[in-house]
Amino acid sequence: MQAIPIPHVDPLPIPGPVWLFTALLLVVFTLHVAAMNSALGGGIWTLWNYLRGRHSEHPYSRRLANELASMLPTFLAFTVTLGVAALLFVQVLFGNFIYSSSILIGMLWLAVIPLVMVAYYGFYYFSYTAEKGKGSSGCVLAISVCVLLGIAFIFVNNMTLMLSPERWLPMYRAHPNGWNLNLGDHSVIPRYLHIVNGAIALFSAILAHLGMRKMKVDAEYGRWIVQRSALVFAGCTGLQFLLGMWLLLAIPREIAMVLLRDPLAGAVFGLALVSVIAAMLLILLGSLAEKPSSLVHAGFGMSLVTLFLMVCLRYLLRLAYLKPYLDLGTLAVRPQVGVIALFLVLFVGGLATVGYMLRLVTKSQKSRVRASVPH
Amino acid sequence: MLIALVAVLHVFVSHFAVGGGFFLVVTEKIARSRKDAALLEYCRRHSRFFALLTLVFGAISGVGIWFTIGLVSPEATSSLIHTFVWAWAIEWVFFFVEIAAAIIYSKTWDTLSARDHQMVGWIYFVSAWMSLFVINGILTFMLTPGRWLETHNFWDGMFNPTFLPSLVARTAVSVILAGIFGYITLPKREAREKVARWAALWMMAGGLVLPLSLWWYFAKIPQFSQLYLNGVMIGVRHAVRGGVFFMLLSLAIALVCGVWKPRWMRAPVVAVLVICGLGTIGAGEYLREFVRKPWVINQVIYANDLRASQIETLQSVGVSHSANFLLTDDATSAAYGANLFQLQCGSCHAVGGYRGMKRRVDGWDAAFAADILQHIHMLRGTMPPYAGNEDDRKALGNYLASLNPAWQFNVTDGNRLEIGEKVFAARCGHCHTVNGNFRPLRGAFEKQTPSEVQEIFPALGAMSSNMPNFNAPDDQAQALAFYISHEASLPMPQKAAPTEPPTGSSHSQLVRPTQSRQEVR
Repeated sequence: MQAIPIPHVDPLPIPGPVWLFTALLLVVFTLHVAAMNSALGGGIWTLWNYLRGRHSEHPYSRRLANELASMLPTFLAFTVTLGVAALLFVQVLFGNFIYSSSILIGMLWLAVIPLVMVAYYGFYYFSYTAEKGKGSSGCVLAISVCVLLGIAFIFVNNMTLMLSPERWLPMYRAHPNGWNLNLGDHSVIPRYLHIVNGAIALFSAILAHLGMRKMKVDAEYGRWIVQRSALVFAGCTGLQFLLGMWLLLAIPREIAMVLLRDPLAGAVFGLALVSVIAAMLLILLGSLAEKPSSLVHAGFGMSLVTLFLMVCLRYLLRLAYLKPYLDLGTLAVRPQVGVIALFLVLFVGGLATVGYMLRLVTKSQKSRVRASVPH
Repeated sequence: MLIALVAVLHVFVSHFAVGGGFFLVVTEKIARSRKDAALLEYCRRHSRFFALLTLVFGAISGVGIWFTIGLVSPEATSSLIHTFVWAWAIEWVFFFVEIAAAIIYSKTWDTLSARDHQMVGWIYFVSAWMSLFVINGILTFMLTPGRWLETHNFWDGMFNPTFLPSLVARTAVSVILAGIFGYITLPKREAREKVARWAALWMMAGGLVLPLSLWWYFAKIPQFSQLYLNGVMIGVRHAVRGGVFFMLLSLAIALVCGVWKPRWMRAPVVAVLVICGLGTIGAGEYLREFVRKPWVINQVIYANDLRASQIETLQSVGVSHSANFLLTDDATSAAYGANLFQLQCGSCHAVGGYRGMKRRVDGWDAAFAADILQHIHMLRGTMPPYAGNEDDRKALGNYLASLNPAWQFNVTDGNRLEIGEKVFAARCGHCHTVNGNFRPLRGAFEKQTPSEVQEIFPALGAMSSNMPNFNAPDDQAQALAFYISHEASLPMPQKAAPTEPPTGSSHSQLVRPTQSRQEVR
C-alpha cells in the first residue's frame, strides 16, 4: 500500500487541453463566487436593513431590504448554476482529489443539497412577504442566511481537505461513515472568515455600483446606498487584509512561500493587492463627494478584477499544495475537437440568447418609464 | 438507494420542467389569441408554481445527483466526465439559458409585450428540451455504449443504440407530467373545465406515444437486460406491473375527471394523479437502473464501481495490496471483512435494510460463504464477479457468516420438510429452484429417494466449476435431501419451458444440473 493513498488518475484521457479546462474553471468559478457573494453578502445586507428598517426613522433601510429581497432568489439561482460548471471542470482536472475529500465528509457534503433548498425557498418566501412586513419574514431570512453560512463552511472544509491527502487515511479510519470536518487544518477557520467577509465586501462594491444607477431615479436614496455601501466595503476590505494575513500564517510555510518564490504567483498576489487598494480608494473617493462620481464604477470594476486575481491565486496555491501528488502536465490528453468547437459556438449563442432576453426586459422597462412620464 | 431516491424525485420534477414549459407557452398562445383572460390568469399562476418547483427543487436535486454519484460511484463518475465533459458543458449552456428564461418568464407577465413574453417562453422550452436531449445521450450510453466500446469516439457514445427511443419516451413522459402538474393550479371557477380538458389532452397525447417508445427502447437494450424482463426477477415484475398500473390509472382519471366530469377533479384526485405520476417514474427509473446490472457502465465498470479491467488483478493480488482506503491492514481481522463488505457490496447492499444481506446469508457458515463468493456472478445474473483473492474471500465469508447466529436444529419427522425448505433457500435457492423457472433441479432429482439425493451432495463441488462445495451439518443435509426429494416428486403443472436466467458476466457458463448428475454417475 502507498504511504499516502491517492486514488489513481482516470485511465481515460481528458478530452481537451489542460489550459482550456483551467481557463474555463477560472472564469466560471469567478462568476460563481461573484454570484455567491451576491447571495450571501446580499442576504446579510438585506437582513441587516430589514431589521433596521422596522423602525420608522430608517425608511431607506426598509426600501433597500424590499428591493434586495426580490433579487436574492435570482442571485442564488446563478450561484448554483455557475457552481455546477465549476464543479464539472474541477472534476476533470482534480477528480481523484475532490472525490476522496467529498467522500470523507460525505454526510455533510450531501447535506448541502437540502440546505440549499431551504435557503432558496426561504429567499423566495422573504421576497413574497417582506414588503407586506409579515412577522416571520425576518426569521425566515435569518435562517436562510445562517444556512448559507453553514454551506460555505462545508465547502471550505471540502476544498481544504482535497488539498491534504496525508489527512485522508487517518480521518477515514477514525470516522469511516462520512461524518468528518477538516478542523485539524488550521487554515480552515481563517479561510472561512476570509470568504464570508469577502462576500460582504464584494457585495458592498456591487451595491455601490447599483446605488450609482439608482441615483438617476432618486438622487438622495441612491447617494445613501452608495455612501453606506462604500463605508462597509472599506471596512470589510481592511478586515480582509488582517484575515488574509492570518490565512497566510495558517497555511503551511512552504505553500505560503510560493507567493514569494514563484514569479507567477508573486505577480498575481502583487496585482491583487494593488487592485484591491485601488478599488478601495476609488470607491471611497467616488462616494465621499456630495455627488458621488463615476469613480465608484471604476472601483466596482477593480473589485471584480481583484476577485478574478484572488481566484487565480487560489488555483496556483492549490497546484502548490498538490505538487507532490499531481502534475497536470503529465495527464493524458485526447481533445474532442469537434465537440469543443460546438460547445464554444453554443456558449456564445447561449450568452447572446440571455443577452437578447435581458434586452427585451430593459426595453420594456424603458418604455414603461417613458409611458409614466407625463407629456 | 440514495441515488434512487434523489433520482426519482429529480426525474419527476425535471421532466415536468421540460413538458411544463411547453404546456405553458402553448396555453399562453391560445389564451392570448382567443383573448381568454381567465386562461391567461391561469398561465400566470401556473408559471409561478412552475418556477418555484423547477428552479428550486428541480435544479437543486439535479445538483444532488451530481453530488451523490460522486460519492457512491466516483470511478464511474470520473469515467463519464472524461468521456462526456463537453456534453455536460453544452448541457450546462442550455441549463443556464433555461434558468434565465424561467426567471424572466415568470416575472414579466405585466411588463413584456405578448410577443416578447412568448418568445422567452419558447426559448425556455427549447433550451429545456435540449438539456434533456444531451443528458439522455449520457444516460443511455451507460446501458448501451454501442460502438464506443471499440472506438472511444464521443459521437458513438452519445448517439448510441437507445438514444432515440429513450429521447422519445422521455419527451412523452414530459408531456404527460405537464398535464398532471397542470391540475395542481387548476382554477376554482372560470376556465376550470377548459383547463381540466386541456391538461387531460396532454396526458392522452403523451400516454399514446409512451408505450410505443418503450417497446422500441426495450427492443434495443442488450440481450442480458431483456432477460431481466422475462419474469424471473420479482422486483422487475413488480416494477413493470406497478408502472403499467399507475400509468393506466392516471389516464383513466384524466378521462373521467378531466374530460368527462371536470368538476370531479378536486384536490384528492389531483393528489392521486401526482402519486400515479411519481409511481410511473419510480417504476421506470427502477427498471432503467436494474436492467443495467451488474454494470454501471455496460462492459466497463461494475455496479460496485470496479472496472472490469481491474478484476483479474484484484483476484490475483488481493484487495489489501491494491485498495487505497482500508480500515485496517490486517487482512485476517474481522474489521477487514467488514471493510471489504463496505467496499465491494455497499454500493447496492446494506447489512439489514435495503437489499439487506443479513437475511440473504442466514444459514451460511464462513466456509460456504467464502466458497460461494467465487461463484457470485452466477447468482441470478445481477452480481459482478467477486474481486479479491482467497484471503479476501475468507475474510468476507467470515464477516457474512457473523451476521447471523449459526443454525441449530432439532430435526424431527414433523419439521423435516420445513427445515429442508429453509436449508434449500439458504444453500441452493440463490441459484436454483426445484420446480420453478429458474435453473430447476427437478430433472436431476425426480423420483429419487432422500438418501439417493443426499449421496450426491459430497460431489457437488466437483460437478461444475460454478458449484460451491456442500458442507452443511448432517442433520441439515438430511432435511435438505428430504425436501428436494419431496418437491421433485410432486405432480408437475404444465408450464412453459424453463427459462435461462440472465448472467451478467461471461466469466463462466452454467452447466445444467441434469448433465452434471450424469457426469457424477
